[in-house]
Amino acid sequence: MNPNTVTHGRAGTSAIDAKGLVKRFKTGRTFIEVLKGVDFDARHGEMTMVMGPSGSGKSTLVAALSGLLKPDEGRVDALDVDDLWDHSAGRIDKFRLDNCGFIFQGFNLFPAMNATQQVMTVLKYQGVPKDEARRRAVAALEEVGLGARLNQRPDSLSGGEKQRIAIARALAKDPALLFADEPTSALDGENGQVVIRLLRRAATEHGAAVICVTHDPRLEAWADRVIHIEDGRILDDQRRTPDPNATLGSH
Amino acid sequence: MSLALSTLLYEWRRYMAAIVALAFSGLLVLAQVGMFMGIGKAFTATIDRARADVMVLAPGSTGLFNGGPSGVPRRIMPVVQSHPDVVAVADLDGSGGRWQNVVEGDAARKTEFVQVTIIDAVPGAVTVPTDYSNDLIEALRQPFGVAVDETALGRLGVKLGDKAIYNGKTVRVVAVTRGYPNMMQAGVVMSRDTLRMLGEANTGDRVGPLMVSTKPGADPEHVVAQLNAQSRGQFKAWTRAQLGEANQAAMFKESFIVIMLGFSLFLGILIGVAITWQTLRGAIMANIKEFASLRALGVSMGSLRAVVMELSFWVGIAGILASGVLTWAVSLLATSSGLTMAFPIPMVAGVCVMLLVIALASGFLSLGVLKKSQPADLLR
Ligand SMILES: Nc1ncnc2c1ncn2[C@@H]1O[C@H](COP(=O)(O)OP(=O)(O)O)[C@@H](O)[C@H]1O
Ligand SMILES: [Mg+2]
Repeated sequence: MNPNTVTHGRAGTSAIDAKGLVKRFKTGRTFIEVLKGVDFDARHGEMTMVMGPSGSGKSTLVAALSGLLKPDEGRVDALDVDDLWDHSAGRIDKFRLDNCGFIFQGFNLFPAMNATQQVMTVLKYQGVPKDEARRRAVAALEEVGLGARLNQRPDSLSGGEKQRIAIARALAKDPALLFADEPTSALDGENGQVVIRLLRRAATEHGAAVICVTHDPRLEAWADRVIHIEDGRILDDQRRTPDPNATLGSH
Repeated sequence: MSLALSTLLYEWRRYMAAIVALAFSGLLVLAQVGMFMGIGKAFTATIDRARADVMVLAPGSTGLFNGGPSGVPRRIMPVVQSHPDVVAVADLDGSGGRWQNVVEGDAARKTEFVQVTIIDAVPGAVTVPTDYSNDLIEALRQPFGVAVDETALGRLGVKLGDKAIYNGKTVRVVAVTRGYPNMMQAGVVMSRDTLRMLGEANTGDRVGPLMVSTKPGADPEHVVAQLNAQSRGQFKAWTRAQLGEANQAAMFKESFIVIMLGFSLFLGILIGVAITWQTLRGAIMANIKEFASLRALGVSMGSLRAVVMELSFWVGIAGILASGVLTWAVSLLATSSGLTMAFPIPMVAGVCVMLLVIALASGFLSLGVLKKSQPADLLR
């Protein structure tokens, strides 16, 4: 476990609570309603998986929960912030800087920076002193198994390794909320398994509330909870017992 | 190393267009400054390399020959001579006229107006420039012998030893000088005796500028001050250094130089900003997803703007360096073809500031593309 990590909240307590989320997009002259009154909550120490077919509104939900895209209706209470969307853009940026980690399908790493610099950059913007930032970056990279790749740039790394840098970049912040949108879909089975296990660990060992969006049903094995969404509505919400040692066959 | 600097170094190819544009903007202005300053230097060459420490000119004149009456009444000469620190006084006679080369066969016939200056063809004379060799002086001692600068040979259509017609009389090129280019008008040097034999020596009651040498150990500034105290508006004495500076400054008051420089400055800034702006825009767009991921992680728009501004600052620095290299290459080329360029520090500093301002302005203009760094777009 990352020695610098603080655990967030008590496992099982609510980390994020959203009510009545509605989001519409304008397409041509008509509006399409992508979220049709979604209630959602996620807890510390748990991996909450959001599953559903493509176009069902999963990503839009994550964007609304994490302060990236303002919903048209509804409210989001996250950690100690009541009604996140009632705050200024600057305050929401600060909330994300302090509390949120993101893992996207793409890796979005700066070509010019080596693994350590990628991770340090965000810490620097958090105001972490340089030496400590380096220490934490190295620890996070070791945690994702890249201890031997600290000085390598993205162009000399595989897709799986790049995604692990992105995870290290998210984890080094010790985020209380970790959002992952299709984190494995650009990866092969083996690398996908490494990534989902790291996310599982972020929940179990760091106490983060991990919200993972996927359309891959095989990832369910690692989840504490699986929420199915279709056409902007939640269909069902099941608790289950995660199996951290589950395996993912190749795609 | 910062994000901006490491990006510039690692992805330099992406920024090359901007750096090259800045380099050429700088070159456009610097090369002209260098050329004009170089010409200015050449203009003042006769002043800078004169043996005289003090020169006496008509009031209001700042050059030995360039425009306006530069001479003084002949009766001033004994007045200057009588100063206790003055060793020698000589008037710098000059003339001008039509020059034709003597062609054999079908070579090109040239007709040019030339400006004539004289020396007293005696080693050590106060009218002889310090860099004239004894051989050169001896050559000019030959009747009807003239010296032409190497940069004017082509224009006058002659080479060493050639005959030519000056104001209808035959003269011969007996020497070639080096380091006395004149962009405006070709110059010819002859001895005072040759000018007299051509019938063009000044015999009136006004003479050309006075070249004055002072006693070793005397302070020329002191002599100048004392001479000026008794001028009563009829002349003005200068030290060599003072006159050189005033001469060069006067050249920059020429309106065509100001117009040309101003136009290049305008063009350089316009092209520099346009290309640098578009290049920066493209380069930022290429990394827009990475910027968006930083936005998602909570890095503020202001911080990203700072990254872009820092990036444009470094692009500006790279542009200044590239501009320096280009200008240096061009000045070498110019020197090898007989035109020396000069780069006074304040002018160079000004151009550096200009390039930096261009780069920063371009960075400022390209801040707009950061709006495209929408982290929600990374969620698919
Ligand atoms: N910025 C947008 N403008 C218009 N339509 C959008 C926008 N973002 C998403 N949509 C539409 O909303 C629907 C749901 O999108 P999304 O939340 O990305 O679904 P999922 O992640 O479940 O595949 C899709 O039909 C998509 O086309
Ligand atoms: Mg999606």
